[in-house]
Amino acid sequence: MTAILKRVALTLVLLFASSFAVFAAIRLSGGDVTAARLPASATAADRELFLQQVGLDQPIVRQYFTYLGNMFRGDLGNSLTNNASISALAVDKMRNSLILGAAALVLVFAIGIPLGLVAALRRNSWVDTGITSFSVAGMAIPNFWLALILIYIFAIQFQVLPAAGQGGWRYLVLPSVVLAAEGVALTVRMTRSAVLDTLGNDFVRTLRAAGLSNRRIYLKHVLRNSLLPIVSLAGLRVGQIVGYALVVEVIFGWPGVGQTLVNAVLRRDYPVVQFFALVLVVVVTLGNLAASIGYTLVNPRLRK
Amino acid sequence: MSSDTDPIVDPGTSGTTPVEHATDARTPLLEIDDLRVGVKGDNVAYDIVRGVSLSLYDNEILAVVGESGCGKSLTALSVLALHQSPPLHITGGAIRYRGVDLTTLSAAEMRALRGAEISMIFQDPMSALDPMFTVGSLLTSAVRAHRKASKAEARNAALEALADAGIEDPRRRFDEYPFQLSGGVSQRVMIALALVNDPSVIIADEPTTALDVTVQAQILERLRMLKEERKMGIMLITHNLGVVAAVADRTAVMYLGEVVETGSAQDVLAVPHHPYTNGLLAAVPRLNSKVADLKPVMGRVPQPQEITAGCAFRDRCERALDRCATEHPVLAPRHRTSVRCHNPVD
Ligand SMILES: Nc1ncnc2c1ncn2[C@@H]1O[C@H](COP(=O)(O)OP(=O)(O)OP(=O)(O)O)[C@@H](O)[C@H]1O
Ligand code: SF4
Ligand SMILES: [Mg+2]
Repeated sequence: MTAILKRVALTLVLLFASSFAVFAAIRLSGGDVTAARLPASATAADRELFLQQVGLDQPIVRQYFTYLGNMFRGDLGNSLTNNASISALAVDKMRNSLILGAAALVLVFAIGIPLGLVAALRRNSWVDTGITSFSVAGMAIPNFWLALILIYIFAIQFQVLPAAGQGGWRYLVLPSVVLAAEGVALTVRMTRSAVLDTLGNDFVRTLRAAGLSNRRIYLKHVLRNSLLPIVSLAGLRVGQIVGYALVVEVIFGWPGVGQTLVNAVLRRDYPVVQFFALVLVVVVTLGNLAASIGYTLVNPRLRK
Repeated sequence: MSSDTDPIVDPGTSGTTPVEHATDARTPLLEIDDLRVGVKGDNVAYDIVRGVSLSLYDNEILAVVGESGCGKSLTALSVLALHQSPPLHITGGAIRYRGVDLTTLSAAEMRALRGAEISMIFQDPMSALDPMFTVGSLLTSAVRAHRKASKAEARNAALEALADAGIEDPRRRFDEYPFQLSGGVSQRVMIALALVNDPSVIIADEPTTALDVTVQAQILERLRMLKEERKMGIMLITHNLGVVAAVADRTAVMYLGEVVETGSAQDVLAVPHHPYTNGLLAAVPRLNSKVADLKPVMGRVPQPQEITAGCAFRDRCERALDRCATEHPVLAPRHRTSVRCHNPVD
């Protein structure tokens, strides 16, 4: 229990640190904030005035505390480019990304674990070889490349799925598959090796000797023992999905956090970047936290 | 071929083979008959268990002794088809349980037999239990693998088995995880698991080797009680001649995949005829469980792949004759035991 509390405290510290890091990095990375809002003909004085209005003339640390204060009051600020309220923007974009991310995460485990289990149980057969090559391919193909291939096949050649945009579930298929690909591949490999490890344990022979069916031994005992390392890395899968979401949302025109963030970075829209980057950091950190708590819960030795 | 339990041996009335010199009126529960188990791979093929015959009757403990690597575990595992296959395969012989040859069973028939008719207990109880499940969940799963039982029925059967295995507080242990148990309690849980479906035969593969001496004695005593109360047949594999002296009714000494001497435990320990058994006993100062672990008689044990014609023990044997290099000795009666040797000790 204290281990879990420690993790929670550590997570909070990490969140503050990273929010400041994002805050400072975007300001120190150069580029012209005023370009998007002011006309090209604007004078240096005009620009100066604009910076004063939005508070960007202050020292960074001062700006940071103002930003924190506002955020705790529930004021996320407005976009520098179109003055839109970020809170209004956030709900919509976060919901879209959540749908995409959750779909990808479900695919990662729903496909990765069964395939890994089957590969391990049929090791060195053609089934194993097939699954293993599939997972090697999944890791080797870059995300954007896979996206283009799938768009070409399913959207252009056969026209069975839309290439981009958002609507019904059909719009979700290609981006979530691309987003899940590497996670599936890694999960297959991890499950396979974890299951092979578990199968070598003496207790498997004990269960056989007691007359339990293979089905029960594999699905209940072997899988439960093998899941420990897989679950503990589920948080990393979340992190990976969040990372790839940037690329995938842009390619598939999926109006989520990633797409918004990329656009905001290009336009030096500080408040938008700050908020959406923080969202990603929170998701990744919570993913890790959830994983370590999950690890504790499935391991009886740590639970007691 | 059955090895005998009858102390009175009359070579004149021997059966069809030299081994069947004394027919036992009882039929064995488990009869391993000229069993061969070997490695068969792409370009290797050799036998590790080379024609082992053993009979186990009800209400008896048969101790199988022999040094490390002689094939005791492999013989035991192959009874329930638990040997690692591939690369290991049964390459010959039969294993009959109540007259049915187990080597011909389907996977489903074998599964139904495991734990219900023949149970097995392993050496290292700490690693033999699934760390993710409680003792109770393990035992109830085992019950329900063999019969339809309500939760309460399965629980009662499990608690009863724990008590029969000599566990003090079954209700408490029921909800504990393996990491909360000592080695001795873990081994009792293994015994409970072996008992929970009321089998007739238990094969215990060095059940006490990993435990400390006082616990060893308790576990052995428990096995002996089970034999008497339930008239079970227990095949007890051990390195330890003290264990043989303490609990065994009969014993079979193995060397390099063969039985080299068999008879009542008393007779074999008192007057060993095979030079190997004789050497083992000479190396033991007293039959005390602390010091009676088998020490290899002098010389190196050949690998199974290196075995050639003649007697497998001859490189280490002081009594070897010329014919020992060419003629494979058969298991033949000698006084009150059976011995595989051309030049037995007295
Ligand atoms: N999976 C396997 N593949 C190849 N050889 C094996 C395998 N398992 C066991 N063997 C070999 O079979 C022989 C007998 O092994 P076994 O475990 O039956 O010996 P044992 O008499 O039980 O020895 P110990 O007293 O050490 O337990 C050994 O030489 C071992 O190397
Ligand atoms: S057969 Fe020969 S070599 Fe083998 S044990 Fe007997 S005397 Fe020794
Ligand atoms: Mg062994």
